[in-house]
Amino acid sequence: MKEKINNLVEEALNALDKAKKINQLMMLKSKYLGKKSQFNDFMKELKNLPNEEKPVVGKMVNIGKNKINQKIEEVKQKIEKAKINQKLKEETIDVTLPGKNISYGKKHIFTQTIEEIENIFIGLGYEIKEGPEIEEDKYNFEMLNLPKNHPARDMQDSLYISEDILLRTHTSPVQVRSLLENAKKKPVKIISPGRVYRKDDDDQTHSHQFGQVEALVVDKKTSLADLKGTLLMVAKSLFGEEREIRLRPSYFPFTEPSVEVDVSCYKCNGSGCSMCKNTGWIEILGAGMVNNNVLKSCGYDPKKYQGFAIGFGVERIAMLRYGIDDIRLLYTNDLRFNSQF
Amino acid sequence: MKISLNWLNDYLTEKIDNDKLVENYNLKSQEVEGLYPLVEASKLTIGYVRTCQAHENADKLSVCQVDVGEKTLQIICGAPNVDKGQKVIVALPGAVLPGNFKIKKAKIRGVESNGMICSLSEIGVADFDKKETGIYVLDGDAEIGKDPLKYMGLDDTVLELDLTANRPDLLSMRGVAYDVKAMFDVDIKFNKPEVKREKAEEEINIFTETKDASVYYGQIIKDIKIKESPYWLKSRLLASGIRPVNNVVDITNYVMLEYSQPLHAFDFAKINSNKIIVRKAYKNESIITLDNIKRKLLESDIVITDGEKPIALAGVMGGEETEVSDSTKAILLESAVFDPISVRKTSKRLALKSESSSRFEKGLNYELTLEALNRACELLVKLADARIVGEPSFFNNAKKIKQQFTLNLEKLNTVTGYNFDKELVKNILRRLDFDYKLKDNEFIVNVPSRRVNFESYQDVIEEIVRIHGYDKIPITLPTTPTLGKLTEKQQFKRDLRNYFTGLGFFETNTYTLTNKEKATKYDNSQKSLVKIMNPITTDREYLQHSLIPSLIDVLAYNEARKINDVFLFEIGKSYTKENEIELISGLLHGRYNYSLWQKELNYADFYLAKGIIESLFKNLKIYDYKFKVPEKELVNLHPGISTEIYIEDEKIGWLGKIHPEEEKNLEIKDIFAFELEIDKVFESHNKANRNFQEIVKFPSVSRDIAIVVNKEIPATELIETINNISNNSLKSIEVFDVYEGDKLSNDKKSIALTLVFENKEKTLETNDVEKMLKRIIKALNEEHNATLRQ
Repeated sequence: MKEKINNLVEEALNALDKAKKINQLMMLKSKYLGKKSQFNDFMKELKNLPNEEKPVVGKMVNIGKNKINQKIEEVKQKIEKAKINQKLKEETIDVTLPGKNISYGKKHIFTQTIEEIENIFIGLGYEIKEGPEIEEDKYNFEMLNLPKNHPARDMQDSLYISEDILLRTHTSPVQVRSLLENAKKKPVKIISPGRVYRKDDDDQTHSHQFGQVEALVVDKKTSLADLKGTLLMVAKSLFGEEREIRLRPSYFPFTEPSVEVDVSCYKCNGSGCSMCKNTGWIEILGAGMVNNNVLKSCGYDPKKYQGFAIGFGVERIAMLRYGIDDIRLLYTNDLRFNSQF
Repeated sequence: MKISLNWLNDYLTEKIDNDKLVENYNLKSQEVEGLYPLVEASKLTIGYVRTCQAHENADKLSVCQVDVGEKTLQIICGAPNVDKGQKVIVALPGAVLPGNFKIKKAKIRGVESNGMICSLSEIGVADFDKKETGIYVLDGDAEIGKDPLKYMGLDDTVLELDLTANRPDLLSMRGVAYDVKAMFDVDIKFNKPEVKREKAEEEINIFTETKDASVYYGQIIKDIKIKESPYWLKSRLLASGIRPVNNVVDITNYVMLEYSQPLHAFDFAKINSNKIIVRKAYKNESIITLDNIKRKLLESDIVITDGEKPIALAGVMGGEETEVSDSTKAILLESAVFDPISVRKTSKRLALKSESSSRFEKGLNYELTLEALNRACELLVKLADARIVGEPSFFNNAKKIKQQFTLNLEKLNTVTGYNFDKELVKNILRRLDFDYKLKDNEFIVNVPSRRVNFESYQDVIEEIVRIHGYDKIPITLPTTPTLGKLTEKQQFKRDLRNYFTGLGFFETNTYTLTNKEKATKYDNSQKSLVKIMNPITTDREYLQHSLIPSLIDVLAYNEARKINDVFLFEIGKSYTKENEIELISGLLHGRYNYSLWQKELNYADFYLAKGIIESLFKNLKIYDYKFKVPEKELVNLHPGISTEIYIEDEKIGWLGKIHPEEEKNLEIKDIFAFELEIDKVFESHNKANRNFQEIVKFPSVSRDIAIVVNKEIPATELIETINNISNNSLKSIEVFDVYEGDKLSNDKKSIALTLVFENKEKTLETNDVEKMLKRIIKALNEEHNATLRQ
């Protein structure tokens, strides 16, 4: 009897080890442990044994059954694991193949530059004002100290729609409109970004359409020193913390004094290179103290109020910062260009 | 303005270092365009041609023995005019001529040559003497072995300034000297011209009939010998960028450069009367100008007449009839002041801008009109052996313009933010040669007439600051307390840009001016076009009504460069006579989020474009929008694949496929475009309820139905019916299948929809949903004759 049990357990364990599939395993389980299994027969025979042997054999049967059950569990796990591994193997892909082409887009460098300048000035407390591109001569020239036949009008050859209406040549008319709108003559601190037009043939450095951002501050004590400080902050923000600025005399009819503003060359740090034509300085923009005639025409008393104005060329700033050598690239929209910024 | 430094140094009592001059001009006055030697040549010497013989191996070459002082050099010369006994310009071996032309010892056809005998063009000054065709022969006084450039006055350096419009004083050498004085605090000296006048021989009366001529001096000058000018005069003109002609012309130009006063010489014999009348031109009057062109005159032109007909266009150009020629013996020399605006108009209209006219236009110093004339007389006596006959005839109605400005010291300091004290201001005004009186804290400044066009004390502030130096101004920030932020509309436009770039669209930046055809090409508004009066080209003559033509140009440009997947947008404007309407426009073409090897090509189509706009609206909390079938065909769009977009029953834009005819012309297929009015979208977005909406706690229930309807019924109408009948209980409707084909009759289609029901208050029972479905199907049947698909 004992030997039989041992043989049977051994036989069962061997058989189970060879099982490869779950249903095979289940069949073996019922063969060895089911109702019609030999173990069941042993249990039935147990009562025929002498009393002293009963517990010993009974124990043997239970141990045998446990061993088989354990084995079944073991083999089952093995089979399941093999199955999962098989599945994972089947699902394996070539992860080195390219991903889907997800379209990506960019804001135009022109917009990016305007937004960056806007952000700098917003940080300094400026409001943003916009205005029409089709403008009256009055706002574009006359109220800016540029009466008809003023020789300085030659500096800005204009595209006219009628005798008195033209495409604005700068965003300064927005400043005039803002000052006029400010009926209570409170201080004004604004920038005006936008498109402007000149009667120029398009070439590497000229464009009949281009972008400007102008800044204007009018208050009781706004000074040339304030202008200088503002310019320095803006220059550092756009061209790097190390930058210095310098002011040179210039002429614009709407400011007096007027200055050109240079930033120390960010390529050579002022020691002289091809970028700055060996001067160590790069001209970036024009600025000045608001001409009294402009204040007067906008209803501000120059005895009480004074202010400064700054004019950025958007393309010029972008071209300088990224080393772009042809302004037309900013209007061609070659996607190999637009995608770079 | 080109400034001869030799000339400038005549006025200065001490020499100024060139680098310092450039630096100070840049920082305190006018931008320096360049500083360069008038002649860029080294190792030149004056040689004497001792012998000159034909080259044994070449017909056109001569072998010369040239005495260069220390030694005699054998030089081969190819110029036909070389001859013994000439004094010539020799470039010695090692010399470098303009254009980096190096002179070396060489054998020319077997004969040794030690240098080169130079022509004027070889040393870069062909204009010095236009008559010279070969090598240049110096006059007899030239000293052998000396520097020929120094001898000819060509050893000069040119300082080129880029003048701003407010500094016409720098159009004269004397003005430049004053400027240098102010910057460097050096003394300057000018000689007063001395003229010996002879007794008058005849009378000439000069008067004006127009206020536009304020000063006019006319001097009779006789026995003139017209000839070449001396070297010094030619060199100075060349350095100033003016070509020498003959002594009379050169002297008038020289005086113009010296005083900024243009002069004009009439051939006195050719003036047919004894009077000069300055007046405005008559109607239908004309004049043949020096350039032999008949000019029609306008009543706004100022003319110089002989009492009957015009003999010169004042300030612009002389008349041919009274032109000075080589045979001229007597002249009437004019020194006058004409109205700047009038001269400007005439010169602009006739495109006759000259050194003279631009000086008249910028304003002259009327205190120097007579002195300039006298200076010319002095030079004509010296250089043309002329006799100055009688006193000049003249009229002088110049009103003394008092340029007096009161500068308050306190204002100076608040404007500049710098602490100027009285002594400093006094010192600067002295350097500037500005007269002033000091009264308490106020400087009463008299600006001299050489500095025309000062407008206010602000100009005086500018002078004080620039001379003191902008670098000395401190650095502060405005103290005006303001809040900087974008307006909601400005933020909205940034959000729009972010939305489209996020979806893979590139923003473009295009021109708004276009041609007539493109301006209205995709515009259905029929509003008036804005036309430029003076366009640059016909391609830039009109302002656009739509951005789509520009976007299509961008597509075509990129397509031609093998960039075939193009998704673009731009925020721009539609310009009409009434207003400027802001638009956001987009273009879709090619593959979108595709994968080649997975065979997912995802070509852009109508529904991609539409989905992008629908998502935009949802993103903006705009729900009351409709895509309508256009009542009238939209221009240049596919009539069956285009829609008008409405928000709250207002048309705000369109979306569609470019018309196949257009696509054929472009040779590009399947272009989809849209254009929306930003203001209208913004308004609707701005009205949207921004408060938090409670999230529904009860589960939603979804049901699929398929209905069969006539083909021509648009899907939106079915959806609208369902929306109307189901009130608030319907959360969403989605079309998941559209079928037309064999299983249905020809005129039918089946649309399958997923309906999601939801109730904010309770969990929906199956019963509730079934009831609602029944009502929906009934309504669909009544309104669209729709049946449930079995």
